[in-house]
Amino acid sequence: MKYLDIAMEAAKSLGADYADIRIQKSTTQTIYLHNLSLKNTSTDSNEGYGIRVFKDGAWGFAHSNVFNADQVAATVKRAMDIALLSGKAKKGNGLTLAAERSYIATYRTPVQCDPFQIPLKEKVDLMMEVNRMMMNYEGIRQAVFYLLMHKDEKLFASTLGTRLDITTQFINPMITATAVMDGDSQSRTFDEGGRATGWEWISQLDLSEKAKQIAEEAIIKVKADTLKEEQRRTLILDPNHLGLTMHESVGHPTELDRVLGWEADYAGISFATPEKLGNYKYGSDIVNFVGDNTLSEGLATAGFDDDGVPNQRWYIIKNGILNEYGSTRDTAPQIGLVHSRGCSRATSYYNQPINRIPNLYLLPGEKQLTPGQLIADTDDGVYIQGRGSFSIDQHRVNFQFGGDFFWEIKNGKLHRPLKKVLYKSCNPEFWNSCDAICDERFWRPFGVVNCGKGQPNQTGRMTHGAAPARFRNIRVGGSQ
Amino acid sequence: MKTRFESIAEYIKKHVKADDYNLHISAMNQHETRFAQNAITQHIAGENININLEVAFENKTGRCSINQTDETALANLIKTAEEMAILNQPDPEYVESPKAQTYPEVQNKMKNTLELKPEQMVEIIRKSIANGEKQGATVSGMTEKHQVDVLFSTKNGFQGFYDLTDFGHSMTMKKDHIETKVSFESKDYGTFDLDKEIECLNSQFDALKTTQPFDACKIPVIIRPAALMEFYMFMMWMMNRRQADEGMTAFTDQLGKKFLGEKFSLMSTLSMPELVTLPFSRDSIVSEETYWIRNGVVETMPTPRYWAKMKNLKPASPFNIFIPGGNATEEEMMKMVPRGLIVNRFWYIRPVDMKAGELTGMTRDGVLYFEDGKVKHAVNNLRFNEVPHDTTRRILALGESVLTDSSVKLPTVLVDGFNFVDKTTF
Repeated sequence: MKYLDIAMEAAKSLGADYADIRIQKSTTQTIYLHNLSLKNTSTDSNEGYGIRVFKDGAWGFAHSNVFNADQVAATVKRAMDIALLSGKAKKGNGLTLAAERSYIATYRTPVQCDPFQIPLKEKVDLMMEVNRMMMNYEGIRQAVFYLLMHKDEKLFASTLGTRLDITTQFINPMITATAVMDGDSQSRTFDEGGRATGWEWISQLDLSEKAKQIAEEAIIKVKADTLKEEQRRTLILDPNHLGLTMHESVGHPTELDRVLGWEADYAGISFATPEKLGNYKYGSDIVNFVGDNTLSEGLATAGFDDDGVPNQRWYIIKNGILNEYGSTRDTAPQIGLVHSRGCSRATSYYNQPINRIPNLYLLPGEKQLTPGQLIADTDDGVYIQGRGSFSIDQHRVNFQFGGDFFWEIKNGKLHRPLKKVLYKSCNPEFWNSCDAICDERFWRPFGVVNCGKGQPNQTGRMTHGAAPARFRNIRVGGSQ
Repeated sequence: MKTRFESIAEYIKKHVKADDYNLHISAMNQHETRFAQNAITQHIAGENININLEVAFENKTGRCSINQTDETALANLIKTAEEMAILNQPDPEYVESPKAQTYPEVQNKMKNTLELKPEQMVEIIRKSIANGEKQGATVSGMTEKHQVDVLFSTKNGFQGFYDLTDFGHSMTMKKDHIETKVSFESKDYGTFDLDKEIECLNSQFDALKTTQPFDACKIPVIIRPAALMEFYMFMMWMMNRRQADEGMTAFTDQLGKKFLGEKFSLMSTLSMPELVTLPFSRDSIVSEETYWIRNGVVETMPTPRYWAKMKNLKPASPFNIFIPGGNATEEEMMKMVPRGLIVNRFWYIRPVDMKAGELTGMTRDGVLYFEDGKVKHAVNNLRFNEVPHDTTRRILALGESVLTDSSVKLPTVLVDGFNFVDKTTF
């Protein structure tokens, strides 16, 4: 597209040390069905371009939604003016950018059946059927089906000579049943998160069966017992619960911008500081976390990040030891790294890219172990499925998590359902208490599509994953 | 901008074939400068527009939004929304668009903010950093300025417009274990006093120099306005009338009852010019002076238009938040209880139990321990599990209400027996 060249020529002629332009069109289709009422059926799109100029160690970023040559040139000029202003408040010589070469490449999320091409009626009919299924249960007061489909089409050019043409997309179905009875109200949700794939995934899910299951489990849950006093107990955590736990307690603390204090005023900083690299016992020996933006169907998989750095796979925690961070071209050099790990991403064209969590997952156990064997091997504990309440301090040390569905384990068997279970733990206690992880047959991804970070706030997305895992001696109890 | 919006509205009115429509147009001019560790790290400027059209054929609805304003884009906007509506299933909860209504005149657009230059914003940051460097500390924060214009127009004759400005500056100062924050946000940059903000930041910073470990327990707590805002916002969110009527929240069957503490009132008000006051909601509910809670009695709950129609109620939506305060100073509050904590901010508050109204969260940016009427030292951060409406019954005293956010005015409160359940390492 001609605007790529116009912008890069303008940036060079103004004397930029580095510049890039990201032309981006984002399209979102949302269908929100509450009981049998369609509260939102929408297609939202925004398109424009964001231009970054790096001059004398400082950034300037300007954006516009007006597509003509004059406006593109004016936006470059504005970004340059802002970069010069930024340079008035810099430390020493300012920032440096990690070395990178140029690329000319195309990336498309592999999709067999584009969700945007499925007729609206087909989608709504499916959703109505699912909600009817849930509403048919006595005691289910609220049924919600939320379906989100999103596509980003990007053209990227930089003064390094890089030219990228990237289209990514994902789909995210979420179903919730809420039971109200006996003076209580409890919900159960089917949520595997988002996945970078097409409608074929929805076709495989058998959502009607899932609807029956969660409606029945919501009713079981509202009638379930609670745990009273907090005690040290064993936890077995399902992959669709662990996704959020690892997101908060491993993903965010290992974002290099947080480590450097760049989020100190808002999202917080990190306890996992650089002197701990290579020696900090983050988890037990069987705990291995991988950053992997090449993951098939991963939400952060895009070929390249918004710095024009190719997607990579690397260990963040290896054999329990803190190994490396997720980094960008402007954060990596701050701790002496030569290259970025390619974690720079922006949500929309009008957002300046920031350091994001990559696709990040817990590697499965190496020994053959099924979830059934794991439960059978546990005398006394709680098995948690799904996402619930979650909260963590701004250094990413102390946390409290709930869940969506709970079973008490007694003598190696699922003994009784529970509700309102909470566990409290901290880093590094939690991941060091992990003593068993099921094998790769039971590894499942969980895609986060709404990771809030940055000012102005941006909504990032990435995929986590795990096999069911066991944690010993964790404080577990009920809510008040 | 108003004229530009009106011409878009005219185009939509002329070309929409649907039986009904709601049109919402908003534009924002932004300038945002983030700084961290004593240097600017991000610096953003630009303008954007969002044109959002919801149409209905009988009770079948479709919605589309775009950020392009040429006629081709507008024609496509109408086409997409109408095609979605035609293909859609009927919505049994559909409510027709509002008719013409009068809405209050408000003044949210301030000259001082409009005239603020990027160079001045960078100078504010430089002074903030210089103060941090004097203390051997790092300073991180954000300086921002926005101008927003909004037009709402419907098939049935409602047409409303408002504009507003917003200025904000925050500073987090950190040195070793000391970490504290101040923030200012107002529609009027003219009311900003950097020296006063820096003085407050330095005072908080100095108070945190000696820290001792403290175990979680139930204890009286003085909650400063920034912390209170986080805490009671979640309660407001759980006050939805429909959810209460359907038995899902703690507010079920509590309307008209003294469910909260006598000392606690919460309202949205048109009478405070310093607050940003939206004249109508996104759902086109016209703003009116509203007590949500008066002296502990639940007087009104936020009520969406559909639920209002179903139950023959008046729709209601919060448009700003004011909690009337008292006249107790922090010094006086400290003398009212043998010992307690002062919380500057809360962080990462999340619901634990919707039905009980229970929340969890952490303290942040400074916790002080006081005894015998005096601050003794700082303590580590703590986790709470608490029920906000319960805490209003334990309010012992309220301070003067102050502007906490551009649309929020709150007091400092002293709450007895606040339930801290865990501590962290810093």
